[in-house]
Amino acid sequence: MILQDARVQLRVIGEPRLLAGLDQGRADRQRHLFTHGAQPDLNREAYTQLAEAVGLRGRGGAAFPVALKLADLPAKGIEAVVVNGSESEPVSRKDRLLLTLAPHLVLDGATGLARALGAPHVLIAVHDAAAATSIREAIMERDDGLAIEVTDTPGRFVAGEARAVLSALEGGKAVPPGRRALPTRKGYHRRPTFLSNVETFAQLAVLARLGPKGYSSTGLISEPGTQLLTVDGAVERPGVVETPTGVPLEAVLQFSGAARGPVLLGGYHGKWLPETDGVYLQRPEVSAGIILALGTETCPLGEVHRVSQWLASQSAGQCGPCVFGLASLVDDFDRLVKGDPAGWHDAQRHLGLVPGRGACAHPDGSARFLASALEVFGEDVRLHLDGGGCGRPVLGVLPVPGGSW
Amino acid sequence: MVTTTASKVEIDWTRCDGHGLCATLLPNDVVLDEWGFPVLNGREITAGELPHARRAVLACPALALRLDRPVERDA
Ligand code: SF4
Ligand code: SF4
Repeated sequence: MILQDARVQLRVIGEPRLLAGLDQGRADRQRHLFTHGAQPDLNREAYTQLAEAVGLRGRGGAAFPVALKLADLPAKGIEAVVVNGSESEPVSRKDRLLLTLAPHLVLDGATGLARALGAPHVLIAVHDAAAATSIREAIMERDDGLAIEVTDTPGRFVAGEARAVLSALEGGKAVPPGRRALPTRKGYHRRPTFLSNVETFAQLAVLARLGPKGYSSTGLISEPGTQLLTVDGAVERPGVVETPTGVPLEAVLQFSGAARGPVLLGGYHGKWLPETDGVYLQRPEVSAGIILALGTETCPLGEVHRVSQWLASQSAGQCGPCVFGLASLVDDFDRLVKGDPAGWHDAQRHLGLVPGRGACAHPDGSARFLASALEVFGEDVRLHLDGGGCGRPVLGVLPVPGGSW
Repeated sequence: MVTTTASKVEIDWTRCDGHGLCATLLPNDVVLDEWGFPVLNGREITAGELPHARRAVLACPALALRLDRPVERDA
């Protein structure tokens, strides 16, 4: 049942790496070893050198260089390696797909690094029932000699933030704390912790096996290898695609059977692209790898307004400017869609009042998304303010989960 | 001798509940937005202003205000 759902979704442009050997569905231990071979035992220095040689960046959205994260950890006393599989971007499917179909690859990356760092704990935060079942089964199929724990985290946008995940793993509320502390210094139980996204660990497992040269046989020179993308919206074939890094956006759109029209890159904290021509998919712009095609049948501003409602509902309710600011922006966009120029003016002002004024990046990301909509949909803004609107219905092309998901 | 490193006012947004006292105490650094929450101008607090800034930090009823870098003292 899990497998069927996932099988429709998974495709590859170029050489499959993370998705290799998955055409029959979930790779159990045996199939995993048959496809990838055994995980080499590497020390901390080797991991750092590998990550540096290929410019590996975290795949959760922030695109922080893995080598720098490793360098920031102290020499001793590392408490845990945390696999962030909360995948809180509502459209993203790549992490649950990896956990569901290639759990051993993720576990190889996480346990290999934990051993190299001398970290006694591997903690896996998951928010998907099928992914949790698969990863738990995989843990039973192997013996890593480490304490590996799987924890279900709540599915709210902000619950996926690194420090919110740590708080949830410690049994607390899945919200970001007020003080900004780096997990590498004060992570799990305020001890040094290496935390990264699911795909980062799968990439590490592949990198450990291939070495820098083999790993760099595809993709960009600056950031070689492959990447997982989630494609959705006005496309004939939505799903997860593995591509070389730096692949042209147009190639992915064609491959997925996307309708013409505007494209959102990087999810609901990302940006609308003024132009899809000449865009190459790489970090940081591609963020967590979400590509949403809007098509030309739906009202762009109405779609953005729907998403703004959802973004406002996802604020963890802790920080005034985030709570009031996002609620005001929902109202601004509502009035704008209805043709009230004051809505546009208020939106411009509120977009300046939200970024940088919260405990996490939710207000910043939400403002980036909304500001880019006003920029890229300038013509639609004009049509709405001129009174008549753009004449298109709001079809709900941009998926918005109801409540938590 | 006492050397000080530059400090800035910072807010723990999970604590701040918009009392607005900081804007009264630090009018050069803080104004309030339309919802009553502080907007910082990001200016560095000079050494001479530090004692006053510290008093303002202590006055925040929500303990949300702080100076971002501890002052280093050289004996
Ligand atoms: S900035 Fe917003 S989403 Fe982030 S912790 Fe504060 S209230 Fe929650
Ligand atoms: S005095 Fe404290 S609680 Fe009041 S607005 Fe300023 S920082 Fe926020």
